[in-house]
Amino acid sequence: MRETYGVALPGMNLADLTGKLIVIEGTDGVGRSTQIGLLKPWLEQQGRAVLETGMTRSSLAGGGIKQAKEGHTLGRITLSLFYATDFTDRLLNEVVPALRAGFVVLTDRYIYSLMARAIVRGIDPAWIRSAYSFALKPDAVFYLRIGVDDLIPRVVFSRGFDYWESGMDLHPSEDMYESFRKYQTALLEQFDILGEEYGFDVVDASVDIRTVFERLRAGIARVLSGEPREPLFAVPRPKETAEEAGAPKVVELPSPGDVAAEGE
Amino acid sequence: MKRYGEHRIPGKLFVVEGIDGSGKSTQLMLLHQWLQAEGYGTVFSEWNSSPLVKETTRRGKKKQMLTPATFSLIHATDFADRMEHNIIPLLKAGAVVLCDRYIYTAFARDVVRGMDPKWVRELYSFAVKPTGAFYFRVPLDVAMKRILDGRTGLKFYEAGMDLELADEPEDSFRIFQGRILEEYEKMVPEFDLTVIDATFPIEEQQVQMRQIVKAKLVQAKRLRVAP
Repeated sequence: MRETYGVALPGMNLADLTGKLIVIEGTDGVGRSTQIGLLKPWLEQQGRAVLETGMTRSSLAGGGIKQAKEGHTLGRITLSLFYATDFTDRLLNEVVPALRAGFVVLTDRYIYSLMARAIVRGIDPAWIRSAYSFALKPDAVFYLRIGVDDLIPRVVFSRGFDYWESGMDLHPSEDMYESFRKYQTALLEQFDILGEEYGFDVVDASVDIRTVFERLRAGIARVLSGEPREPLFAVPRPKETAEEAGAPKVVELPSPGDVAAEGE
Repeated sequence: MKRYGEHRIPGKLFVVEGIDGSGKSTQLMLLHQWLQAEGYGTVFSEWNSSPLVKETTRRGKKKQMLTPATFSLIHATDFADRMEHNIIPLLKAGAVVLCDRYIYTAFARDVVRGMDPKWVRELYSFAVKPTGAFYFRVPLDVAMKRILDGRTGLKFYEAGMDLELADEPEDSFRIFQGRILEEYEKMVPEFDLTVIDATFPIEEQQVQMRQIVKAKLVQAKRLRVAP
């Protein structure tokens, strides 16, 4: 049976949510939506019904958040709660019905991004964890991990620095570049802390799109075939010895070929 | 992030609570008049007054698209906006701030809608602890009579119609308010609410209220209203 991170919501039956909830997490500009754009048709080719969902898209609060951000007028607690409202609307009106219908739900970010952003803005970590404690535990969280030095060129050569993604609300006196670097560094730190706590599958996102896609595909195939993920962490792999000491573990996923053979 | 009871700010915050028809708004209005006459810089802060979140709340209610969880969160968002942009700055400036309904309204209403009581309390833990919180206790029948006389219709969420307690708004409203009343009674000891018997004459209730407020303002720095 599916679980939440703490409290249950009134009227929600957790027993019949038979679909799969798969989260793609990662910071701004890391390539989440590109990957989801590749994963969706791949899953559909395999005959899986897919619901794709993302942040600030709910019919209830999505518009309000966009408007509020344009004016830059929300307080920190208010902004966090507005996001929580939007998240909850999406969870109840999109994610839950899709899971009940047996869909694979691919979500572009989940509570972790919302928590990381809030904590970096001085929100009490215990408070924000409690606020989201009704969220459904996903079947897997794939975290696209990147260092700030690899992230910056991508952002510069695609869409440029954005006010909120640069944390300009936190460092109003800095230029966009300095602020972006500081803000994203703090954010990435929070993601690593949350990753440990919530058991993210870490995928190295500094490599090319194709390689990231292949790793995600392999990981998702594993989740869909119902294989437990624990052994993947427990069995040491020879490649891991090359990792820097103290760096968060990057899971080496099996090659796509292996998984396709196992999965079908 | 400061939590309930941790704020150290010079202003004073008084709130009134109670079910619809308890007469709390009348009492707060009378208190406001008196405080102004006494020379205190006094400001009203009203529930649902934030222009920013108001539109979203209004849309959600109009289209009946709110679940207990989103109902709770959208009201918490609105409250947070008022807390951050209105109540806290006013209190920092040393004002006497008056609120018609406060976090206890949310606790009662959200718990009746099935939300976890601890979760809701934690959600609102950023709120400033009031200097004084008055609960206007009134029997359900008295409140119902005051409300329904001269009212043409009850709104969907106001009557608790989303809870599917009864087919008729008036029946639903009665059951809903009865449950809210039970939640208020639980909160009297929990949050040390000052109970005022709302069946007493208006003037008597106001005398009680002023005595209590006066005692709490004795050592307060008086923010004089500009002449």
